[in-house]
Amino acid sequence: MTSSAVLQAINGTSLAALLFLLASGFTLTFGLLRVVNMAHGAYYLLGGYVGLTVAERTGSFALAILGGGASIVVLGYLIDRFLIRHTGDNHLAQVLLTVGVAFVIGDVSLAVWGGDSLKVPVPVALRGAMELPGGLVYPTYRFVLILFGILVGAALWILYRKTQIGAVVRAGVDDREQVSATGINIDRLFALVSALASFLAGMAGVVGGAFLTLYPGADWEILVVALVVVIVGGLGSLEGAMLGALIVGLLDAYGRWLLPEFSYFVLFGPMAVLLLVRPRGIFGRDV
Amino acid sequence: MPRAGRIALALTALTAAVLLPQVAGPFWTGLVTQMYIFGLLALSVDLLLGHAGLFSLCHASFFAMAAYTTAILQVRYAVPTALAAPAGVLAGTLLALVLGLAVRTRGVYFILITIAFGYVVWGVAHRWSSFTGGDNGVTNVPFPAVGAWRVESHTEYYYLVLAVVLLCALGYRILVASPFGLALRGIKASETRMRSLGFACGLHLYAAFVVSGALASLAGVLYVYYNRFVNPVAASFPVSVEAALMAIIGGTGTIVGPFIGSWIMLGLRNWVSSFFALYASVMGLVFIAVVLWAPDGLVGLAGRLRARAQKAGAG
Repeated sequence: MTSSAVLQAINGTSLAALLFLLASGFTLTFGLLRVVNMAHGAYYLLGGYVGLTVAERTGSFALAILGGGASIVVLGYLIDRFLIRHTGDNHLAQVLLTVGVAFVIGDVSLAVWGGDSLKVPVPVALRGAMELPGGLVYPTYRFVLILFGILVGAALWILYRKTQIGAVVRAGVDDREQVSATGINIDRLFALVSALASFLAGMAGVVGGAFLTLYPGADWEILVVALVVVIVGGLGSLEGAMLGALIVGLLDAYGRWLLPEFSYFVLFGPMAVLLLVRPRGIFGRDV
Repeated sequence: MPRAGRIALALTALTAAVLLPQVAGPFWTGLVTQMYIFGLLALSVDLLLGHAGLFSLCHASFFAMAAYTTAILQVRYAVPTALAAPAGVLAGTLLALVLGLAVRTRGVYFILITIAFGYVVWGVAHRWSSFTGGDNGVTNVPFPAVGAWRVESHTEYYYLVLAVVLLCALGYRILVASPFGLALRGIKASETRMRSLGFACGLHLYAAFVVSGALASLAGVLYVYYNRFVNPVAASFPVSVEAALMAIIGGTGTIVGPFIGSWIMLGLRNWVSSFFALYASVMGLVFIAVVLWAPDGLVGLAGRLRARAQKAGAG
């Protein structure tokens, strides 16, 4: 009992690492660009599929991550530049537009990669299981994923909080016009953040596709869980995405274990509590 | 349009609606029945969107909750329609009482949280297979029957749906013209101003959310008796977002708008899916096109085109 509880904690944490990759991009694009991009789940799925094809052709997991991420950077840029830009600050229009984009991406992916569950091949070194202290045996890949998530989280945090670029981005989140007035090219900054978010989503697809598998509908399932992360953590906050991912990842793991038929229902809990106590999320500010 | 013209148009439409099953075949009668039902769902979404300014993406939840309740009561427990149908509406309304918590947020948060709520409900329908039948859902729902009176065919059911939808439209009209409806419009225009005037804005929005949920539930009950089965697709996100798009295409804040939108969307779906496999892509493109070129729906698009034509004529 205790050992499976510990295993579920590790399961939840590794899911949290994946959710963080997706939610951080979503929350940063909202924070700076004021854009709600519902195509983020489709980016995840398409990035995963592209990574899968790259991995099958080259046999390299690293190239798969790069390929999945890079393809979404290009696609995301085009969608930003030619579609989302026309919606201005109208969130309703953004949601409808990006839902439409997500439908198209999902449908085309279905036509190209088919309806079966596909798994991105895990590199040989990460296959199999490893023994953790205390005699627990756990899949190596998912354990490494936790480390990877921490690494990406730390890198993003340093970039956001401790560098010049991060300072400009944070200033942009607070007041776009003011940043623009100081002579900083805000459009380039937007493109940079948007590219980073796209890369994270595409990469998440490859990383997640190696243990959750890729299938039609996976785009919306992961997106909604990432949305709950963002709602709980607070829209626009990087720290919120970290904490939210951990809360949602753990709840999901224990939910699936203890109440398999109501695993989705478990996600309702934190949202309801939050709505009653703190509607803006833990780190959220008025927008 | 002058009053007499409007009345003449309404009478013509009503006559056409009444005559349709006699003139058209079962295919068209069925399609138009669906258009009424989904038009009603779109109307319920529009009570929030067009009148209160809240963009809800969880209305499939009330729709499906009502459909499942009625179906399970009728099929599994042989409860008569006179009880099963009201129970369905009640169950959907109760769900709206809970999910109505979402009105504590506004704007993006409201949109995101209703999406998440919608998925929780879909997830329960999908996973709780011992009760909901999982992906197969609940099948063999009979036609409604109250006492000695029973619906025997899809044509008869068409008239029942038409009557219910007309009654709802009438009630809706009274509701939005009432002080409550005016207060909602005020909140949509400026919540701060309404609050400083002493209105309980949160309470108004909550009440609108519940009424809207009840209307969506009614559409769900009509749907399950038409469709004769219900599965998790009824609760899925595309149903919610398409209902919202129907209201937007037809023009928000009106009564006929959502129905026109439902006619266009369902007509398009039937037509496209008959010869093109990538139907979902076409729907996605419709979403994109509406946002880019007709954000105020067809009413707005017609107005813009007319203005442009006048400008061209003057210049």
